[in-house]
Amino acid sequence: MLSLQHISKYYQVGGNKNFVINDISLDIDEGEFISIMGPSGSGKSTLLNIIGMLDEPTDGFHYFVDQPVHQLKEKQRAALYKQYIGFVFQAYHLIDELTVYENIETPLIYQDVKGSERKAMVADMLDRFQIVGKKDLFPAQLSGGQQQLVGIARALIAKPKLLLADEPTGNLNSKQGEEIMELFRKLNKEDGVTIIQVTHSEKNAEYGTRIINLLDGRVESSRKL
Amino acid sequence: MLKNNFKIAWRNLTNNKVYSAINIMGLAAGMAVALLIGLWVNYQYSFDKYLPNYGQSYQVRRNFNSNGDTLTFSSTSLKLADALRNNYPEIEYVAETDGGREHGLMVGNTKLLLTGKQAGADFFKIFSFPFIEGNADGLKDPYSIVLTESTAKALFGSKNAMNQMVKVDNKNNLKVTGIIKDLPANSSLALNYIIPFSYFEIVDPGVKAARKQSFGNNGFELFAKLKDGIKYSQLAPKIKNMEQYEDNLNAKNSDVIMQPIQDWHLYNTYTNGKASGGFIEYVRIFSIIGILVLMIACINFINLTTARSEKRAREVGIRKAIGSQRKQLILQFLTESVLVTFVAFLFAIVIVLLALSSFNTLAGTSIFLPYTSGWFWLITLGCTFSTAIIAGSRPAFYLSSFNPVQVLKGTIQTARGAALSRKALVIVQFSCSIVLIISTVIIYQQIQHAKNRPTGYATNRLVTSTTNDDINANAVAIKHALLQSGAVASITTSSSTATGINWHSDVDNFPGKNPGETVEMGMIAVSEDYFKTLGMQLKEGHDFIGNAKADSSNVILNEAGVKRLRLTNPVGQTLTKFGRKMNIIGVVKDALMDSPFQAADPSLFFFDGGGNIIYRLSPGMNTHEAIEKVSAIFNSYSPASPFAYRFVDDDYNQKFNLELLVGKLAGIFAGLAIFISCLGLFGLAAYVAEQRTKEIGVRKVLGATVAQVWLLLSKDFVLLVVISCVIASPIALYFLQNWLNKYTYRITIGPGVFIISAVAAITITLLTISYQAIKAAIANPVKSLRSE
Repeated sequence: MLSLQHISKYYQVGGNKNFVINDISLDIDEGEFISIMGPSGSGKSTLLNIIGMLDEPTDGFHYFVDQPVHQLKEKQRAALYKQYIGFVFQAYHLIDELTVYENIETPLIYQDVKGSERKAMVADMLDRFQIVGKKDLFPAQLSGGQQQLVGIARALIAKPKLLLADEPTGNLNSKQGEEIMELFRKLNKEDGVTIIQVTHSEKNAEYGTRIINLLDGRVESSRKL
Repeated sequence: MLKNNFKIAWRNLTNNKVYSAINIMGLAAGMAVALLIGLWVNYQYSFDKYLPNYGQSYQVRRNFNSNGDTLTFSSTSLKLADALRNNYPEIEYVAETDGGREHGLMVGNTKLLLTGKQAGADFFKIFSFPFIEGNADGLKDPYSIVLTESTAKALFGSKNAMNQMVKVDNKNNLKVTGIIKDLPANSSLALNYIIPFSYFEIVDPGVKAARKQSFGNNGFELFAKLKDGIKYSQLAPKIKNMEQYEDNLNAKNSDVIMQPIQDWHLYNTYTNGKASGGFIEYVRIFSIIGILVLMIACINFINLTTARSEKRAREVGIRKAIGSQRKQLILQFLTESVLVTFVAFLFAIVIVLLALSSFNTLAGTSIFLPYTSGWFWLITLGCTFSTAIIAGSRPAFYLSSFNPVQVLKGTIQTARGAALSRKALVIVQFSCSIVLIISTVIIYQQIQHAKNRPTGYATNRLVTSTTNDDINANAVAIKHALLQSGAVASITTSSSTATGINWHSDVDNFPGKNPGETVEMGMIAVSEDYFKTLGMQLKEGHDFIGNAKADSSNVILNEAGVKRLRLTNPVGQTLTKFGRKMNIIGVVKDALMDSPFQAADPSLFFFDGGGNIIYRLSPGMNTHEAIEKVSAIFNSYSPASPFAYRFVDDDYNQKFNLELLVGKLAGIFAGLAIFISCLGLFGLAAYVAEQRTKEIGVRKVLGATVAQVWLLLSKDFVLLVVISCVIASPIALYFLQNWLNKYTYRITIGPGVFIISAVAAITITLLTISYQAIKAAIANPVKSLRSE
């Protein structure tokens, strides 16, 4: 599904290059559920952002669904991104001014989905996550677990092939965290969504099919489960 | 998408009430000013447009060469009227009129003294005033009169005025042959009725004779309409020298020109024979001020929106992360700015509606909101939309440029560049405001300066009335009765009022005159006790004897007149005027009868008397009582005409009307500009206080006092205002010096006004931001630190 070859990201500090990602090569197939682990500052989030095209590497080649991302123009990249990728954040990042319903609907608006179709899709998603009763509430009126559910629903609404999650359970208690992980596993198994998550938790990492350990911007180890 | 954008915009508006209120209030005030000025400018341009022949109507004027200086006069001769009428096929109609003066109109017991014109037969063909009843043909009969609707109503009440008689000046009955609609307020001509010029020629044989006399006999106004398709530029070279074949110094030095009707109102100042400016200058200045005030309001919007960007940054990040393109974000932010601007526009309309009547009173206009006009809405809504785009673009482009990764991590710093450009914009705002403040102060200083100028005569308790035939016939008796009554201390008559010189002419000959030279002066006919009544002081020589025969060859000059004639020992010398030698028997000190801002007009006083009675009320008597007594005496001798009087000091004060209007408008707009600027500053101060909450908390824990924190927060803003003062002062100095150069008698601009304006601006700034600064300073640091 995607392939990173010799990807580096560094900042020029004085005369030195300060590497965040240092020559990482990585192939990910469709249907995988990957957990990226590593200590703070090891480059996990940056790697995830590069995969998600939110960030650009300084060097290297990036292929996504057989397209050379490093050669694409901003517009083409955005189109690719919109079509294939969903993002889940540790801090949920819901838009405070929008209701649950509207938050979930927003990506569809950016994809020019028609109003009636949007309605059906959002209703479907609300139903699936059992949050129909909360659809008119604003984020501030929800618990953390519920907000993250909305965040995931929003990430999935456009039927992405790849779900990227940056410490999705980091702000949740263990029970809520488990529920989210169960949900991820189900999405991966039943719907075939490829998932890449960044996590600190060994336990959560175990939900995946492969664990990649980063250290100082390099892949330290990679093991299949 | 659009609906969604509006929804978000609306929620943002209602969730941040203080910011929204500041934004909307500021924009609404700015737009109200711009709208008001726009309406005012449009009103000034709308003058005379109601006339169907707007494009082809002209007033004939003369450029008179007075020793190299070109003076432009609107007084022309009847000979010129006939010459234009008969010799130029390009001209369709010519109408001669008098200058427009007051006549007594009487119907039964109703007596009115109103201004009207005596006009030639083609007057209505040039000025097609809409007739309610009757038509222009009636004017062919000399004994006819056309009334305006309100004059008819005032004279006849609810009765139909058509074909009724009006007694004019207690002499002849004129038949009402037409009633026209009242002239609108935006009309250059002001008249209450029109009498045929042929009637004028019957009652005043001098007028009839004038038609056969020379081009030099200038005492009439001429209006003309060119044939359709004829451009003035085609005609101009043909008429320019038409007077100059006549062997007459006055005519020889006169060029004939015409001024199109569309320039009458705005281009009323002639320099070197060209309508170079006039009121148009103020129209332009205020147009610029309107745009500046609107710009100041837009800057508020820009600054507050970008300042709040940190709050919006996260939203931008999320939206980008879930698939929004920059274009879509820009559209979203522009939608917000459109919404805010249109809400502000609604408020602006309300403000204008509420302020319009006071504004009209102040500016002497009759402006209304033309809400039935499609153009009005098209233009205002178009401008509102452009404002939204202009004000919204900077925030939209700035906000949408955030990198999602950085803002979501919370690592983004408000860019230094943004803070810097915010400061630059604040400086722009305050510079404009301070320029306006300085201008207001200087305009008022100039007015005060001219008001304090010694006039050379005493205006207090001095009263003017006009004569009529009844009064003239009983002049001696009236004078006697007035003095006898104790109400009047002194009385005289003159051809001019005390506050104007209505006849300028050239002196035919005088000692030291160069060949071919024309020297133009104010000519004032006076009678006995003129200088005594006005309180003018003789500098040399003696006053008129008071005997018409003995004084018929005596003249008195003022100091400026002596200077113009270059005489060293004027008293005892002779000059030629009115075709005879006149002895200069005295010199009076200059008096400001014309403009209080210019040098005194060179004037020549000769003994004849005239249509204005000037008298000073006795100092001992209460004004009201004195006027009652005077009124009774006039009414007993002149029963057909209502007693009318004007106080000379009121007339004199009217000479400041334009300057006072400009001063008042500048003051109001300066006030609003500084208000809007401070509104923005208030918002920015709130933002800065919020942004630095943690810093302030830490400082307080470390022992900072409230005063220290206040100083910390205030000094940045004060610095901006100080910079603004430094920028504004030379700009204001440059423009105001230019403005002052129009006035011969003017103030010198000292440093005081700049210091006062700077102190005022800084004080206002401190007051504005202190609320936020002190609020932040007295907040409990434990609270602010915990909230982090």
